[in-house]
Amino acid sequence: MTVPSRAVATLSLRAIRKVLGSNAILKGIDLEVSAGEFVVLVGPSGCGKSTLLRTIAGLETPDEGAITLGGKDVTRAEPRERDIAMVFQSYALYPHLTVRDNLAFGLRLRGESEATVKARVEEVSQMLGLGALLDRYPRDMSGGQRQRVAMGRAIARRPKLFLFDEPLSNLDAALRNQVRVEIKKLHATLDATMIYVTHDQVEAMTLADQLVVLNGGKVEQKGPPLEVYARPASRFVAGFLGSPSMNFADARVSDDGATAVAEGLRAPIDRQRFSGLERGRAVVVGIRPHDVTVRRGESSAQGYRDGAQPAEISVPVDVVEAMGFEAYAHGQVAGAAFVARVEGRPDELPRRGETLALSVEAANVHLFDPETGRSLAESKS
Amino acid sequence: MIARRWLALFATVALLLCTVTAHAQQRSVTLWHAYRGAEQQALEQVLRAFEREHPGVTITSLAVPFDAYASKLEAAIPRGNGPDLFIDAHERLPSYRARNIIESAAPALGQLARTDTGPDLEPLALEAVTSSDGSERYGVPLALKCLALFVDEELWERAGRPSLETVEGIAAARSALPREAYPLVYYGANAYFHAAFLHAFGGQLFDDRRGTYAFTGAAALQSLEYVQRLLRDRVVPAEVDGASVTPYFRSGRAMTVISGPWFVGELGDARRFRVVPLPRVTSTGRALSPLVTVEVAYLARNAHAPALAAELAAYFASPSAARTRALIGRQVVATPSAWSDPALAADRILAPFRRAARDGKLMPTHGNMRLSWEPANQAIRRALRDPAATRVALEQGQHRYDDASRPLPSRRSPLPLQLVLGVLALGLVFRSVQRARDPAFRYAVKQSMPAYAYVTHAVVIVTLLVVLPLVLGAITSLYAGRDGALEYVGAANYWDIITARGGPLFTSGTFYAVLLVTVVWTLANLALHVSIGVALALLLSRPLLKLRALYRVLLIIPWAVPSYVTALAWKGMFHRQTGAINAMLAALGVEPVSWFAQFSTAFTANVATNTWLGFPFMMVVTIGALAAIPKDLYEAAEVDGATPWQQFRHITLPLLKPTLLPSVSMGAVWTFNQFNVIFLVSGGEPDGATEILVTEAYRWAFTRQAQYGYAAAYAVLIFGVLVLGTRLLERLTTPPHARGGAR
Ligand SMILES: Nc1ncnc2c1ncn2[C@@H]1O[C@H](COP(=O)(O)OP(=O)(O)O)[C@@H](O)[C@H]1O
Ligand SMILES: [Mg+2]
Repeated sequence: MTVPSRAVATLSLRAIRKVLGSNAILKGIDLEVSAGEFVVLVGPSGCGKSTLLRTIAGLETPDEGAITLGGKDVTRAEPRERDIAMVFQSYALYPHLTVRDNLAFGLRLRGESEATVKARVEEVSQMLGLGALLDRYPRDMSGGQRQRVAMGRAIARRPKLFLFDEPLSNLDAALRNQVRVEIKKLHATLDATMIYVTHDQVEAMTLADQLVVLNGGKVEQKGPPLEVYARPASRFVAGFLGSPSMNFADARVSDDGATAVAEGLRAPIDRQRFSGLERGRAVVVGIRPHDVTVRRGESSAQGYRDGAQPAEISVPVDVVEAMGFEAYAHGQVAGAAFVARVEGRPDELPRRGETLALSVEAANVHLFDPETGRSLAESKS
Repeated sequence: MIARRWLALFATVALLLCTVTAHAQQRSVTLWHAYRGAEQQALEQVLRAFEREHPGVTITSLAVPFDAYASKLEAAIPRGNGPDLFIDAHERLPSYRARNIIESAAPALGQLARTDTGPDLEPLALEAVTSSDGSERYGVPLALKCLALFVDEELWERAGRPSLETVEGIAAARSALPREAYPLVYYGANAYFHAAFLHAFGGQLFDDRRGTYAFTGAAALQSLEYVQRLLRDRVVPAEVDGASVTPYFRSGRAMTVISGPWFVGELGDARRFRVVPLPRVTSTGRALSPLVTVEVAYLARNAHAPALAAELAAYFASPSAARTRALIGRQVVATPSAWSDPALAADRILAPFRRAARDGKLMPTHGNMRLSWEPANQAIRRALRDPAATRVALEQGQHRYDDASRPLPSRRSPLPLQLVLGVLALGLVFRSVQRARDPAFRYAVKQSMPAYAYVTHAVVIVTLLVVLPLVLGAITSLYAGRDGALEYVGAANYWDIITARGGPLFTSGTFYAVLLVTVVWTLANLALHVSIGVALALLLSRPLLKLRALYRVLLIIPWAVPSYVTALAWKGMFHRQTGAINAMLAALGVEPVSWFAQFSTAFTANVATNTWLGFPFMMVVTIGALAAIPKDLYEAAEVDGATPWQQFRHITLPLLKPTLLPSVSMGAVWTFNQFNVIFLVSGGEPDGATEILVTEAYRWAFTRQAQYGYAAAYAVLIFGVLVLGTRLLERLTTPPHARGGAR
């Protein structure tokens, strides 16, 4: 369906700081969101995502920094002056109002005519399939339905900016997948600027035009999701995105500078990306479980020969988790846990006690500074 | 034959034995009285003297608390465990005769010294114990009590020693006295005091012979107009009640005071004073004539020692005992020869009181006299407040009296009711038997036995404490009678209430008028309780407020203090002369307000008191309810564009409603039945206009000759009104989503 064009706004945050109680929650956040963009804020619980969102909405006032919305400075503006809509994690539906009145609430407050209110409610309920629910009260609906109403309430307002605070976290897995897709469609239909908070990396990866990884009140990395995934700027980002998490092992750069070596591990280094590494330097090697391939028919006892061939990893298998189409083999490499994804029919899967020989391409080997956790790759920017 | 002789012998022996034991008992006499202090001391002294003169006689005297005196006598004497003689006022005589618990006093009076006209007793006192047909005398009169005039010597001298013989003489002192002092101070709004003026104009409060209310007609009108003139000329101060006379006198602001013997004790030696008989009214030539009460020693029926009791009663009235009672007990004794004692004749207090009593009129003794106080008091209060309404006030008094003394509804046969109840009971039994035969039901009951066991104690307690009184009350409402003697009259009480006993439906005092006041009272209070409670709760729920806990405790205090304490404190604050509120108004330059003189201000005073009592509950409830509203709703509304007021209007209020509603219901019931405040603060003033249904019911039960049936019917109607009212409230205010669902 077509939606009338609206004022779509750009948002820019500069050096936002916020202290709550005695804790610094936001420690200088910079962020540019262009019109129509879908930005996902992702990060572990307690990293300040909600606080940042509430600051954008005007529910919190930053201690330092500036917020401009659509070119206007709104740093100290009341929420009602910002024309932003927010979908809360708890939905925050008005329990004493019907769905219809919940949808109409914001419109009526803004003094829209009843005809407009009616038309908008109609439009939104069609868009979200709320037609049958309009006369129900929130307590008479399922979680999914309530979530939809919460989104409808935001959409009906036609705000400059949408904020979502973990809108799917109270839904079960199946519903979550479904609604996630719907939100994506909605974004396309509405062509609206949206900021979406989640701690779920699947939502983050699938929804975002721009992904912003927050950690401890700071932006760790931002960029298109696939790029962030492929080129994590820190050990934190690398570990946070991807499931199962990236494996890390403490290693040293070999004398020829071509590999990072540890006990049971010999990882090739892409010299292009990681130029100028000192020989013998301590590094943290990061390898995603999905990026290894099993070298069949070779015994790990053969050991590793120096040379240009792909490096090898040997993993004594402790546990195998079979998922049907694939399996995860757990073991220890260089004193740290290591997970490898293995494909194959059930009878071909490795067994406990076996030692797996794995290889990995240099392009898929990430190196991090053991001290700072930052990626050792040359930054391209 | 022989058998008969034996029987005769046996009977003689038995008779002898009886007289012997009776004789042994005769040596002790039991006396009941309600004296205290000096009077009790004098009595004991007289008793010891009697014992000395009659060796072997012991007198047991029992001081019975005054409150329950009559009912104790009425209960004990018929059972034979009462006293041989007792002392009480003459007003009770007809009632004691009707209950048949007193004997003729002829044996005692016969022992008294005689004068040419009869026994050595004051004629008025003798009249008090004489039956209305003059044939018989019951009891030996001991002392008289009445009002006299207390004179402040200093003021009197300062005023140039005006004549105290006439009211006009006293009034003439007005110009000579300072502005804040008054020539005459007395409890003007009380019928006992006003009766003295009334008598001076030839009227009376009550016609004892006919048993009718008599505070009507020309004499009543003239007496009131006379007092109105005194008020207007500032001879008498306005709004003096029983308690404020003493401060007037003690502070030297009253040249004379009309009061009784008890006043002496209240004065101490603050002022130099003397006592004289009440003055005359020049225009009528008659003296103000006080109501006189006579103390009487009654001979009880079923006495163990009647002869000795008669002897003792006569001894009380003997000159020597009378002297003791006068000089030590400070009684105005009714034995004339005792007054020949020079000390007594010269007594500066007792002698004038004796002369005052000679001008007095006996307190009426008819049972309905007690019903005339309230109407007469109200008529006097209204007339003195609003002279233009004097006639109306008198008519209203008559009307009130008629109302209170109206003939009881005629007795009905309880048969129809019994029939209906019987049929219902039979039906119930039949149904139970039918159900008990159903095996499924029997099984269900058996299964539920443990559950029944758990609730038994609660059911028993609720039945005893709630259901039973309710049922008994409802049953009582079908009876009518005065002084607790009840007869079944069917629904006559209800009919009387609902039809206003044939009078106009909306005049003051009818059920409808009182109901209207009650409803307005309830609504006004609830509006204030809820708005103040919610406002304070909102303030106290602000997270940034400092000392929040302290404020909460302070604001809950009015609720924690017992309501009668608060009510009395507020009543004091609304007092015209001494109240804090008028003092504050005075500081602002506002004229003092007689709070209880008009409906509007009296009602306001009541509402103010009850608001003070009631808002903390609503506040506490609201604080709880506010805490239960999720914060994110406010944030959602804020983001949706709501101003703080809109948040209150569209989020707070609707979400408070489900919690507040039951509290409002409860508050409505409490306020509707808020007895303490009305009774203690305005007491129904003015003229019962601020009375609400419960206090009105109370008046029927406890100040209008114990018309329990009528009061019970009121109570049942109150119950009905409340059930309907709360239902209606629920219906009106419950939004559809809250019906039949938890949230
Ligand atoms: N009002 C507050 N006072 C003090 N600390 C707070 C307050 N609100 C949140 N915090 C803290 O701020 C941190 C960030 O909270 P939040 O933004 O809700 O995290 P997220 O949404 O990323 O899980 C948490 O550690 C939380 O405990
Ligand atoms: Mg959060």
